[in-house]
Amino acid sequence: MSRLRTALPAVAVAAAVLALPLFVHDRYLLKVLSYVGIDVVVVLGLALLFGFAGQISLGQAAFFGIGAYTSGVLVAVHGWPWVAGVAAAVAASAAAGALLALPVGRLRGHYLAMATLGFSEIALVAFTELKGLTGGTDGLSGIPYPALGPFAARTPGANYVLVWGVAAVAYVVAANVVALRPGRALRALHGSENGAQACGIDVGRTKVVAFSAAAGLAGLGGALYAHLVGFISPGSFTLELSILLVAMIALGGMGSLPGAVLGAVLLGMLPYLDAVVPGLPKSAVEVLQSWEADIYGLVLILVMLFMPRGIAGALRRLRRERGGER
Amino acid sequence: MGSREVSWELLQFGVAGLKNGAIYALVALGFTIVYASTNVINFAQGEFYMLGGMFATFVFAHLGLPLGLAAVAAVVATAATAVVFELLAVRPRVGGDPMTIIIVTVGGSVLLRSLARHAFGSDELALPAFSQGGSIMVGGAAIDRQTLWVWGIAALAVAALWVLYTRTRLGRAMRATAVDGEAARLVGIDTRLLVTVSFGLAAVLGAVAGLVVTPLTQTAYDVGAAIGLKGFAAAILGGLGNPVAAVVGGIVLGLLESLSVAFISSTYKDAIALAVLLLVLFLRPSGLLGRTRREKV
Amino acid sequence: MSLLSAHGLTRRFGGLVAVDDVSLEVFEGTILALIGPNGAGKSTLFNLLTAFDRPNAGTVVFDGRDLAGMPPHRVVRLGLARTFQNTQLFEEMTALENVLTGAHTQTRTGWARAALRLPGTGREERLAREEAQRLLRLVGLAEVAHVHASDLPHGTRRLLEVARALASRPRLLLLDEPAAGLNNAETEQLARVLRQLRDGGVTLVVVEHDMGLVMDVSDEIVVLNEGRKIAEGPPLLIQKDPAVIAAYLGEEQLDA
Repeated sequence: MSRLRTALPAVAVAAAVLALPLFVHDRYLLKVLSYVGIDVVVVLGLALLFGFAGQISLGQAAFFGIGAYTSGVLVAVHGWPWVAGVAAAVAASAAAGALLALPVGRLRGHYLAMATLGFSEIALVAFTELKGLTGGTDGLSGIPYPALGPFAARTPGANYVLVWGVAAVAYVVAANVVALRPGRALRALHGSENGAQACGIDVGRTKVVAFSAAAGLAGLGGALYAHLVGFISPGSFTLELSILLVAMIALGGMGSLPGAVLGAVLLGMLPYLDAVVPGLPKSAVEVLQSWEADIYGLVLILVMLFMPRGIAGALRRLRRERGGER
Repeated sequence: MGSREVSWELLQFGVAGLKNGAIYALVALGFTIVYASTNVINFAQGEFYMLGGMFATFVFAHLGLPLGLAAVAAVVATAATAVVFELLAVRPRVGGDPMTIIIVTVGGSVLLRSLARHAFGSDELALPAFSQGGSIMVGGAAIDRQTLWVWGIAALAVAALWVLYTRTRLGRAMRATAVDGEAARLVGIDTRLLVTVSFGLAAVLGAVAGLVVTPLTQTAYDVGAAIGLKGFAAAILGGLGNPVAAVVGGIVLGLLESLSVAFISSTYKDAIALAVLLLVLFLRPSGLLGRTRREKV
Repeated sequence: MSLLSAHGLTRRFGGLVAVDDVSLEVFEGTILALIGPNGAGKSTLFNLLTAFDRPNAGTVVFDGRDLAGMPPHRVVRLGLARTFQNTQLFEEMTALENVLTGAHTQTRTGWARAALRLPGTGREERLAREEAQRLLRLVGLAEVAHVHASDLPHGTRRLLEVARALASRPRLLLLDEPAAGLNNAETEQLARVLRQLRDGGVTLVVVEHDMGLVMDVSDEIVVLNEGRKIAEGPPLLIQKDPAVIAAYLGEEQLDA
């Protein structure tokens, strides 16, 4: 009973988010929100890895790209069904994440950041140079819309529901994981690796699983992205994306799933503010898009200086100071 | 083909390798200097290299200063940028969670790169060679005059750094801080000031590298990330925190790249540094010349 | 019966021999104290006994199993738990969550089961929470169950680490200076807990500077000096041992 009661607000939020296309018919807004939904899926993975386990990755764009290319190539070139393509994308990214974690699992802090960054750059070289597979810099086009048997998600509304449905499932799964034993193992890594080992936690294995889960969710996001946009090229999988994802976690707050979602929504919406602010002049949007990267960089610095635990951390502290101990 | 031609060709690759190696060494020194004072990698190091080249082309083309003065102005401007960045963004977090500083410098690199795009545009920019005239022939190998400038200026920078480290109070304070920051603080060294100084020095080295190589390669707002990775690969190849190792690592990396072009192909030249980076991180994070440090439980 | 036996343990750091050919036996149901002046090699030996560090020579056998090459987390599964001289708590977690994490080896919910909240996960979680609450009560920390570890005072943190270690249901518990920084009341609470644990069947090894506590609770004492074992025996004999007195001469901790 109590579980039902605590789950109720979350269910209500999910229902409201998913029902949005019933009331909103603005195709542009739905498209923008679909992209934000993809950001949410990817960021949830990074939240597990970085936000909870404290393992920074500047290479999530690579896993996003591996997912996008895997599903894109399998479905567009080899005619696989969409579901199979997406499943293969998740599997390929998760496997890549596990493979990377085996050697980098021993690294910490800036070494880990550099290693994941280096991996990401190697993946970018591969996306560009494996022309036979990926189309090189020309990209891969003609990736079909998501389809399940006879049902294809061709409209922005349908895509929106699909993406946010996946995001909702990913959120529930991530929330379950962090609330229970595996989540405590992740948080233990962040707290103290010695302490974690003293609790009998296999630190190396936990890192592999965390990397793999984060990579799998990034690959899932990448696959969704490939089928929504229909065209992918290496330019979509650069370091900027990886840093943006880290900025979303930093802004939302380490160790908080709602924070991660909030960070993804805030920063993901930023270049498309005109979709939610109706009167916004086109020139203002252009300025915003042109200064997008500057803003992300500035957000990273300002959050670290003035709100190192992000929005969620600031709220948590506020609540604690008011004496409302959980 | 005779064996003599083959060896001249190898020499030619060696020249190119030593040229790139000198550049990597300067960037690697920048990483090492900041690491020595903060124990953290400055992810914005590559942007100092970018700014050196961009400031120099801007000052030379738009303010009409002679090349030499433009170069000096570019170095000063880059160092000033780095010091301001350090004072505003890094200093408040020095001594805290290293992850915070990592993220701050990652944010700084994105910010500096984007600001440079807005200030200088996204086109490739060029700088004339420092001295006119054709290549100098050494047997069958041609050495570009600008390559001589690269070597000369890199050597000068390394020598100046060596004098600073061994002959000045500031340098001794920096070395003491690198060995044991806590002890350095106890004997009255202002370690916070040293962090600022180290960012300035790292920027000088990065800017010098970036501007001296611009006549050969041109430059653009987005060259920082790649050179940052290579410089870091060089720094860690030798052993992070050791200036001599940074220079050795830079030269070795440059030669390795050249040899890979000679014997494999130029397509994956940029991947060599990445492979070196990952291999060293996986196998021996303390570097070839470094000692492994144990963590106290 | 001997639960843990170390034989000929040697650990060198460069030219320094931190632990030099040390052998010892820990008998089931007893409290063994490991003492010695600063720098005697106690913590190094401690890390060797718990597989957090590898000896250059010698063996550690726990319950008939050689620990050579075993990673520390596996050792915990065998029933050997430890605390740290510098507490290694999970600062962002509450006291209760810290103890729950300590029960990692006693619970089974993995990623897939947790993600889907399969039947049984809720029950396991509930039981683990009840057990964690019991352990917090045991060390006297029930009041602060929902306080973050980072907000706990020093002495409380040590007791919390003991509770966390107990959550793995160890047969042998090694405590590294558990009384350091504890006030008198907390030290008494600790002594009470230690005796209670021993009477409940947990074997204990304690590295400790507080001689009052050592003499009070231990059944057996091993004295280290400069990496070597210089004496072992029951407290009353150790107090009179000339080698021990010589080693401690000038050390003010003897009666601290």
